[in-house]
Amino acid sequence: MRYLRQTLTIAAKDLRSEIRTKESLNAAISFAIVILVLFSFAVDPSSEQIKEMSGGLLWLVFAFAGALILNRSFAREQNNDCLDALVSSPIPGSALFLGKALANFVLLTVVEFVSMPIFGILYNMDWMRQPLWLAAVLLLATWGITVIGTMFSALTVNLRMRELMLPTLIYPMMIPALMAAMRLTTLLINGEGIPADDWIWVKLIVGFDIIFTSLAVTLVEIVLVG
Amino acid sequence: MREKILYGAGLIAGLYLVRNLYQILLVLPDEVDQGAIYRILLFHVPAWITCFSAYFLAGAASVMYLIKKDMRYDTFSVASVEVGLAFTLIGLATGSIWARIIWGIWWTWDARLTWALITCIIYAGYLMLRHAVDDPTARAKNSAVLCIFSYASVIITYKSIDWWRTQHPGAVLSIRTGGGRMDPAMESILFQNAIALLLLAGVMVAVRMRQEDTQREVESLRRYAHAAV
Amino acid sequence: MDSRNFTYMFYGLAAAWLILSLYVLTLVSRERRLRRELDSVKRMLEDRERAAKA
Repeated sequence: MRYLRQTLTIAAKDLRSEIRTKESLNAAISFAIVILVLFSFAVDPSSEQIKEMSGGLLWLVFAFAGALILNRSFAREQNNDCLDALVSSPIPGSALFLGKALANFVLLTVVEFVSMPIFGILYNMDWMRQPLWLAAVLLLATWGITVIGTMFSALTVNLRMRELMLPTLIYPMMIPALMAAMRLTTLLINGEGIPADDWIWVKLIVGFDIIFTSLAVTLVEIVLVG
Repeated sequence: MREKILYGAGLIAGLYLVRNLYQILLVLPDEVDQGAIYRILLFHVPAWITCFSAYFLAGAASVMYLIKKDMRYDTFSVASVEVGLAFTLIGLATGSIWARIIWGIWWTWDARLTWALITCIIYAGYLMLRHAVDDPTARAKNSAVLCIFSYASVIITYKSIDWWRTQHPGAVLSIRTGGGRMDPAMESILFQNAIALLLLAGVMVAVRMRQEDTQREVESLRRYAHAAV
Repeated sequence: MDSRNFTYMFYGLAAAWLILSLYVLTLVSRERRLRRELDSVKRMLEDRERAAKA
């Protein structure tokens, strides 16, 4: 119970400071919109082709916008040695990590729920045909992405060229979740349910979430404290 | 003395490889379906066996490092990953050339190939991360954590032929299928090649470990020199 | 088809050996560079010690 409260405290702290400054949320949302617009030049937005690519396009946008949020997650604690203060506070490292992951998760979800209608308008897509399943896939895959991203954000916080290293390290790691999410999102946006053949992708995302969350929770103490 | 043993082992591995090559080229007959090209597989599969073993040992050494905090484990992991990466490249190159004949294309995005490529990129990222950290303890700690995460991709690559329908052939070795998928004479050469490559990789890892030690010595002497001024 | 089959088998084996030897070459060149660096750092420290004594 105490652990949960500590986690929520950290998450609330991160969200509060984000709401006050809006620095990474603004950047991520405008970045997502810019990519959505840019993509209309890469493919003909009125063609049928875009239906086949919708999941891939959306998840690339989310992954890129996510990197902006994740980059700031631990880096913002570097000023005034806030990270040292957090680590030496009586909160376990894993609660600190989960709190930050939760905050990033909420932020990225906000970005996604802003981008989806914009995507629908710009590309004339009726994307609300399977809203519940779509929301489930979005949330599951977003959690996977933020867990990996927050972990690597902690890992790379003291690096030279942090902004460059984080994306190069996280994107290959995220591929299982991204691959599954792209496939499922395309299916769901086109209004089909999930066929029996494609349940392996749902299992893949759930497995990804469980494995990497537990791995990150066990290892993060070492990364933060040493 | 250690040096002599090392080079001796390297020489043995090299000679063994040459002897296997003689067997492969001149003693074994062509395969019924594939013709001469199947001989590549007698290098392709052993290269992947070597590379997966190297990544496994690197992962195990990383876990040991996090428990014991002994720099030698870190040295072993970086050496093992680097040698493993060399064998990954061999596996990708030989597989691609084989595919050009059998499938008519150099590359296809099926699960096995895609995951092999991802594994390659992830471990290259591991070596990049090491370059970006200056402090030896922080470098060892962070790269050990990354190495443990990276091992997930090796597992997925290994199991991908069971999880997805791939264009890449399924399991053929008798230890996985119970036999019958491959001629015993060919399989025996394949395993002998694997032993030779593993021995060679072991020698390379040992050489690379010594280099890492020298590197660390140079770095610490430099730091000492700067501090003394 | 058959002759190409044979040529590509040769390419495949050559590629494997080529990458192996390239890696061995990088190992050797790194060995040499590290030796040189170690020597130069050691020499630098010795010089400095001698200078300090004098």
